[in-house]
Order: sequence, then C-alpha cells, then structure tokens
Amino acid sequence: MDSTTKKKVSRYSAHIVLIVASFFFLIPFLWMVSTSLKPLTQVFTFPPEWIPRPFMWSNYTDAMEYIPFFTYLRNTIVITVLSTLGAVISCPLVAYSFAKLRWPGRNILFIITIGVMMIPGQVTMIPLFLLFEKFGMVGTPYPLIIPAFFGVPFYIFLLRQFFMGLPDSLREAARIDGAGEFRIYWQIMLPLAKPAVLAVGLFQFMASWTDFIGPLLYLTDSLQYTLSLGLQQFQSQRGSEWGLMMAVSTMMTLPIIVLFFLLQKTFIRGITFSGIK
Amino acid sequence: MIKSKKMMMKLGMVSVLTLSTVMAGCSSDSGSGATEDGKTTVTFWHSLTDSTGDAAEAVIKAFEEQNPDIKINSVYTANQGEGQNEKLLTAVSGGNPPDVAYFDRFEIGSWAAQGSLEDLSALAEESGINEETYYPFAWEEASYDGNLYGLPISTDSRLVYFNVDHFEEVGLDPENPPRTIAELEDAADKLTIKDGNRFERIGFIPWFGQGWLYGWGWSFGGEFFDPETNMVTANDPKIVEALQWMTDFGQKYNVEDIAGFTDSQGDGAMDPFLTSQLSMKVSGPWEVSAINKFKPDLNYGVFPIPTPTGEDHTTWSGGWSVVIPKGAKNKDAAWEFMKFFGGEEGQKIFSEIARDFSVIDSVNEELGYKDDPILGEFVEILPVSNNRPVMTQGSLYWNELASAVENATRGIVTPQEALDNVTEKVNKELK
Amino acid sequence: MSENAQKIEPANNSEPPYERQLKLVPAKKKSFWSKNKHGILFASPWILGLLIFYAIPLFSSIYFSFTTYSILQPGEFVGLQNYKDLFTDSLFWKSVYNTVYFAVFFVPLSIIFGVALAMMLNMNVKGMGIYRTIFFLPTLVPHVALAVLWMWLLNPGFGLVNGLLSTIGIDGPAWLGSVTWSKPSLIMMSLWGIGQAVIIYLAGLGDIPEDYYDAAKVDGANWYQKMRHITLPLLTPVIFFNLVMGIIAAFQQFTLPYTLTQGQGTPANSLSFYVMYLYDNGFKFFKMGYASAMAWILFVIIMALTALVFITSKRWVHYQGK
Repeated sequence: MDSTTKKKVSRYSAHIVLIVASFFFLIPFLWMVSTSLKPLTQVFTFPPEWIPRPFMWSNYTDAMEYIPFFTYLRNTIVITVLSTLGAVISCPLVAYSFAKLRWPGRNILFIITIGVMMIPGQVTMIPLFLLFEKFGMVGTPYPLIIPAFFGVPFYIFLLRQFFMGLPDSLREAARIDGAGEFRIYWQIMLPLAKPAVLAVGLFQFMASWTDFIGPLLYLTDSLQYTLSLGLQQFQSQRGSEWGLMMAVSTMMTLPIIVLFFLLQKTFIRGITFSGIK
Repeated sequence: MIKSKKMMMKLGMVSVLTLSTVMAGCSSDSGSGATEDGKTTVTFWHSLTDSTGDAAEAVIKAFEEQNPDIKINSVYTANQGEGQNEKLLTAVSGGNPPDVAYFDRFEIGSWAAQGSLEDLSALAEESGINEETYYPFAWEEASYDGNLYGLPISTDSRLVYFNVDHFEEVGLDPENPPRTIAELEDAADKLTIKDGNRFERIGFIPWFGQGWLYGWGWSFGGEFFDPETNMVTANDPKIVEALQWMTDFGQKYNVEDIAGFTDSQGDGAMDPFLTSQLSMKVSGPWEVSAINKFKPDLNYGVFPIPTPTGEDHTTWSGGWSVVIPKGAKNKDAAWEFMKFFGGEEGQKIFSEIARDFSVIDSVNEELGYKDDPILGEFVEILPVSNNRPVMTQGSLYWNELASAVENATRGIVTPQEALDNVTEKVNKELK
Repeated sequence: MSENAQKIEPANNSEPPYERQLKLVPAKKKSFWSKNKHGILFASPWILGLLIFYAIPLFSSIYFSFTTYSILQPGEFVGLQNYKDLFTDSLFWKSVYNTVYFAVFFVPLSIIFGVALAMMLNMNVKGMGIYRTIFFLPTLVPHVALAVLWMWLLNPGFGLVNGLLSTIGIDGPAWLGSVTWSKPSLIMMSLWGIGQAVIIYLAGLGDIPEDYYDAAKVDGANWYQKMRHITLPLLTPVIFFNLVMGIIAAFQQFTLPYTLTQGQGTPANSLSFYVMYLYDNGFKFFKMGYASAMAWILFVIIMALTALVFITSKRWVHYQGK
C-alpha cells in the first residue's frame, strides 16, 4: 500500500468513527427538536416515535404567544451579553497575574480562589441575596451582571492554566524592548491565550443564558424575566406543555450553536510561537 | 508604557460607567405597594399557569371591579410550592415579600411555626369568616396552634381509578368494585398478565400514582400524628400493617419487575393507566382532565380506597391557600383581596375556570361537581377526608415516609424497622 | 503560611527574567509597592470581588453551621451540635456513599473520554466544525428534557438501550428503576454532557506549538509516540484543571439527579447525593444551620482531595512556560 492510499484509508476510517460517535451525541438534541414539533398526545407514546405526526409547526408560534417571548429574549440577551463582557474583561487579567506576575499573597489567594468553588452555592445563596438586598439591587438584573466584572473563579483558574503554558521568554524579550507590564499582557500574552479566552466567553454566555436560580431570586417583575424562567411556565400542576417547552428550548439553543460553530475554528491546532520569538 | 496606561484608563472608564448605571438603577428602584393616584397596589405572587392562571386573572379582574381603589400586581413566580420556595424564602428573609402569596397549604404549619406568616385570626373574625365556611380538613390545614394563617382556595382527594373494560374481560363486576383489601388483592391478581419478568398488564400497584402511605395508613385505621404530645406516630401498628401489606404485595409480583414497569410512568398520555397497561390506580380528580385530553374513549370508574373491613372509607386532601407573608406592606388591602378570593364569589370564579374543587361545599354543589358521575365521588368523600398533619416538620415527615415505603417494599428493611426509624428521626427534630 | 502555600503550589516557578531585569536597574532600590503593583493591580478586580461577593456569604455560612438558623429565623448558637448530629444521620452517610461512588467512577472516566474525544475532534479532516458542534449539542439540552429523554432510553421494557442489548442476546437491567444500576446509569448520562471539558481540551490542544510535531516528524516519530511524548505531556495543565474541577463538580452533583427523581433520590435513596440532601435540609426542612455544616464538611473533603492533586501535580503536570 502506498502512502497516499494509506492516508485515504485513515481519513475514511476517521470519518466513520466520527459519524458513528456523532449519532450517539445527536440523540438528545434530535429528541428535543422532534418533541418540539409533536402534538402533545404523541410526546409520550411507547415505544417512542421520532417522526412527529403531523408536524406541529404551530408549536413554535403558540409558544411565542404563551409567554412574552420577545420581552424575555431581550432581557436574556442584555444580561448575557453584559455578564459575558464582564467575565472576558476581568478573568484574563486576574489569571495573568496569578500565572505570570509575582507578588506577596499570590499563592494563598490562588488557593482561596479554588477554595471558594468548593462550597456549594446553596448555602451562600441566602447571605448573598441579603447582601444584594442591602445594596438595593433586588428586583433589578444587576446581581446577575455585576459579579462577572469582578471575576469568576472557574474561569480564572482555567485561564491561569493557559497563561502558565506560555513561555516566559516572550515576556522577557518584550521587556527588553521597553514594553510595560500592561502592554505585554494586552499585546502579547492575551492574543496568545485567545482560544481559552473565547472558551471562557462561550461558557459564561451559556451559563448566563440558561441560568435559572439567579433570575428566579433576583427578578421580581415579570417584565424583567428571562427565557429560562419562561420555560418553567410551560409546566403546570396538570402536566407540561412539552411541545411548546421544547420549541422554546430549541430556539434558545440556536444562538449558542451558531456561536459555538463560529468559535470552534479558533481551537484548531497549530498556533506557533516561532513568528513572535 | 504610555499605551498601556491608556488601556488602563479605558478599562477604568468602563468600570466607572458600569457602576454609575448600577447606582442609577438603585435609585430608581420602585417600591411595592406605592400609592399612585390614590390606588393601593397589592403584589400577589403565584405559580399559576394555563387554566389556573386564567382563573386567577378572572378573580383579580372581578375583585378590581368591585374595589376600584386596589390594584393587584400579579406576578408569576416559578418553583413555588412543594418544598421549592427559594424565591419566597429569600424574599421573606430579605424583608421584602409580596403582600399576598399563593401557597401550598401543606407548608402553612412549618412556615407559621417559623413566624413567617401573618396571623389572620383577628381579621377573619372581624370579617365573619370561620371554620363553618370550609371543609374541616381545609380549615385545619390552614391553622397552626389554634390560629389561622391562610385562607384555603382549592382542594382535591384520592380515589382508585379502574378500567371498566378490563374488569369485564376478567369477569369482575364493574358495578361492584372492591371494597375490602382482600377483594382488591383478588381483583389485582385476576387483572395481572405477566410474561417472564415483564408485565403485559398489571392489576394494581399500591404505591403508584397517589398511593402514598398517608392514604393506606388512614384506610387501615392508623393515625400519623398526636397533636397532644406533638409527636409523630408513624409506627402505629395499623400503619405498620398497611406498609406490611404493601410490601407483601410487592414481593408477590417481584418489586424490581414492578419498578421496571413503573419507569414508563410520566406525564400525560404515557401514563400506564391511560395506555391500559395498568388496570387500577390511586389518583386525584386531575386524572379526569388527563383522560379527556389523551384518551377520551377510556371506559373507567372510581371507587374509594379499600379498607381491611370494607367500611369507613377515607382519603386525604391537599390543596392551596393564600397567605400574607411576614413583612408585607399592605396587609389591609391584601386581606380584602384574600377575603374575596377565598370567599364564595371568588371561589366560584376560580373553581369554575380552573376546574379545581372549591374548599366550600356549596360552591362545589352549585358548579355541578356533585352531579358528575366521577367528580361527584371525589367531592362526596371530602367531608370525611384527612389532611396531612399540621406540624413544623411536615416536609421531613413526608420525605421520610416516602423513603420508608421504598426501603420496605424493596426489602432493604422490614416495615416495622422502617417506620420505627421514621418515628425516631422525625420526633428528634420535633423536640 | 506562604511557605506552605508555595510547597503545594506548582505554579510557583521563580521567574528569573523579572529578577534579572531588576538587577539591570540597580540604581535605586525599588519600593514594595512599585515591585508588586502590577500583580496586585491586575488581580484587584478579583480581590475586590472576593471581599464583596464571597467573604460575607462564606463567613456567614461558617457561623450558621454552629446555629439552628432556618433562613426565616436566626436560631440559636449550638456549638458543634450540627456536626455531631451529622455523624449519626444515616441518610447523610448514604449520601456520602452515593457521592463518593459517583465521583470515583465519573471523574476518571470523564477525563479518559474527554481527552479521547478532544483528540478525535482535533483531527485534520473535512467538516470537523460540524462534528465538533454535534458533540457539544447534549450540553445545550435543558435538564428537564434530558431527564425525560433518559427515562425513555433506559426504560427497561421499551427503551432503546435494552432494545439494542436484546438484539445481542442480553437481558438488560431495570437501569434507573434498579438500586444496583441507578448510579451507573447516572454516570453514563453525565458522560454525555462532557462537552465543556472537551472544549477546554481542544483549546489546550490548540496551544501546543506545531513546531514540536514538525520536529518529531523529522525524527520519524509515529502517531503513538507523538501522542505519548508531545500531546499528553503538554495537555497536562489542562488535564490538571479538568481533574480539579471534575472533583469539585462530582461532589456537588445536584441538578441532574434532582430533576430526574423529582428531588426524591429514588429508588430507595440510591440517587440521594450529598448536595441534594443538603438542599433538602436547608430549603425544605428549615435546617440551614445543619446544611451549612454539611457544606463545610464537604469543603474539607474536596479541599483534602484537591490538595492531594496539587501535591502530586508536581510530578505529572508540565508547563511549557518553564
């Protein structure tokens, strides 16, 4: 076998493996989409049916009338975009400091940063709420946005790992060229950590977009509600409107899928340091 | 260096701007209950959607027409009730609760004990509302320590549904459904079709649907709580007997096979009673609307939960109420609204649209529930229905009883041990 | 204290460039502030964040753990009573057992599957963007929907899984209905949602310079050797991250089993996890003090495990930066 056929064979087998595996990972999503198009009587048939009979496209329009969809969508977008912005600005700064700068207390603070994630949010939820009540922010979306501007431990830890992997020789070289600490960060280190920063942006976007407990506690006016609170309204004491609920869920996942599809390109292997060195 | 300083400045500007918008947000915070053009606004939190949501809106509209000086600000809050009260809990602890909340009656005891609900006794007395108005269990469940903390709104009860066609098929008389436990077992046996470890059809599963231990315990003549000593009595011999019966029943058909079967349970049309895989099932009146929706041609009937003697049939009822949380700003206006909602007029509007039973017998009569062959049975039993004990640890007791049933029927512990454990654990918390 | 911290802290590589540079300008002695200001300034948002949004809630929860705080009432100070009670609470131990069981299997499996999946998704074939998106999809489906879907797939009688098993002659178990199989089922379900970890691995793979592979190619290294000697070692900082976060997440497992069992942990408490029981205590039984004590015990457990990971990490985590 010559090397080109070998390559071809390996490429085909790669596709086969990927397609088979994809099938398993597609199941939940396909189920959601198929349910979003089913009449309620068909949702729970046994054995399960995958093809809606008939296709209830009206589930989508009905769902948008059942809840004030566009109001909730707008609120969700505002909260999500602002908190993502916050996380993307603050977390790399802090992570860089943890990874590359030396100052007393750095290590202890890093341990605390990881430590605060170990306490389940269920016990700090109430004191935190009371704090925001003191600030007078309950009933506004600010408690869902502002904390992100001060850093999120999960992302700080993640980005710190990435900055740790960047060679110090780059900083050294830049410093000899007379660059200040902030310029080194902004012009050299941050661009190199771009894939990780984008991943953080994506995670915060998803977290905010689907957050339920935060909006539940802090928003008190139905005009401020988000889509994840809207999803709950399809569940009533007499069973749920599964078709409508899944229609909204499907619509909610679309922006994230698009975002992901655009971002994943940056994860492709092969950035090199050689050009900068 | 100069460039990086500029960056810092920019970042600084961004944060200052963000903070200033925050401050602006704080100052424009609108207080609840503010009076505008002489109107009092009453904030009302509820988890009502769909037809119950429409019903609440209709009640509010009627109330506002009669009380032009009060405006109801109705806010849907997800996750309210059934032990999921994060929002109301945080709001009360933050000192900024709504004026009225739609509230699971089951939780009135524990919340009242925490001092988090307004005592309504004096207001009720002034307005001439007393226990004569309501079903006894509803009034009792809304009271704690002799004081009234909520006005009952809706209720339900539990009966056994049975598939008439299945009965006829195996030669049982649908006109004469089981009255005793022995007859129930006999019917279940005849109705079950088992193939290997798979059920083609199962006659009855005692704990399925609404088959909670409360129902069986009371039907066997047990008592769950002693208000005199403020202690639970889960190991009452009659309750142990009930759980023993459930366990034996499970063993007879192999409990893991039953579990395998019940895993196909779920919402709506997936329910095994609707798919005719289960011939009898304990459930509430809401089952009727599910049947009408998903399986309108199902030929079914209901009978009271059988008892060992075939006499003294009983059941238990839950339901909702309206309460004033501690710290509410507009108590008087809130009471006006509650009085209307819980009174005959409000009840009629609500019950008719929501299709939930009213807690006032005459309203159920007037709305024709009593004439309905199925719903009538549910209403018929309400006067002798029980309510779950009003106590500080109602949710813990509920959870413990539920796991006692699981652990006993799965043979992990004996019924006696399971219920002794429950009694010990809950009483420890009640001290 | 900071000495200790340095010992378990792999990141603490002394940074010669900085030192050296300081020596280049020996003219005036730098003050403490000018030496450290950049580090502190860069970290300042988070220092403030910790003080504002974390300090008070965390300290309050320590205090609550010594009281009978019920959210609605401050309760009384009871010293160590909550901690003592926990040791005799059988449901507490049951939840510890379930949680440890889950963590022991889930964390290693999630790393193996995650790395394998990421490597697969890092291959240079056409349409990779689509494959990547597909593998990411399960993380986007709401939990309520996932719960229903899995009850379907794992249905003993009609489910897809047992259907497949029966075609190869295996009589599948009752999965979520069985005390023995409920936790393995949950582990399997959780592995479906490792999309986030995979993204992190992918980003990590993206950070490995192509130069290394080019050099290995020149040396005639095969696929396995490249993976063994380049990819895996350089991925260790990210594996380390996912290991620590995996431990934290596994011990705080809550949403999926809670939705799946409607908070009941059925069958027979085999799906009662630590934080589920904590939540019930805090929000259903009005025992937030007790729940806080549980939270701090959990903190000690996770902290101990994480410290272990940090200590051993010196041996297996390689930072390119050094």
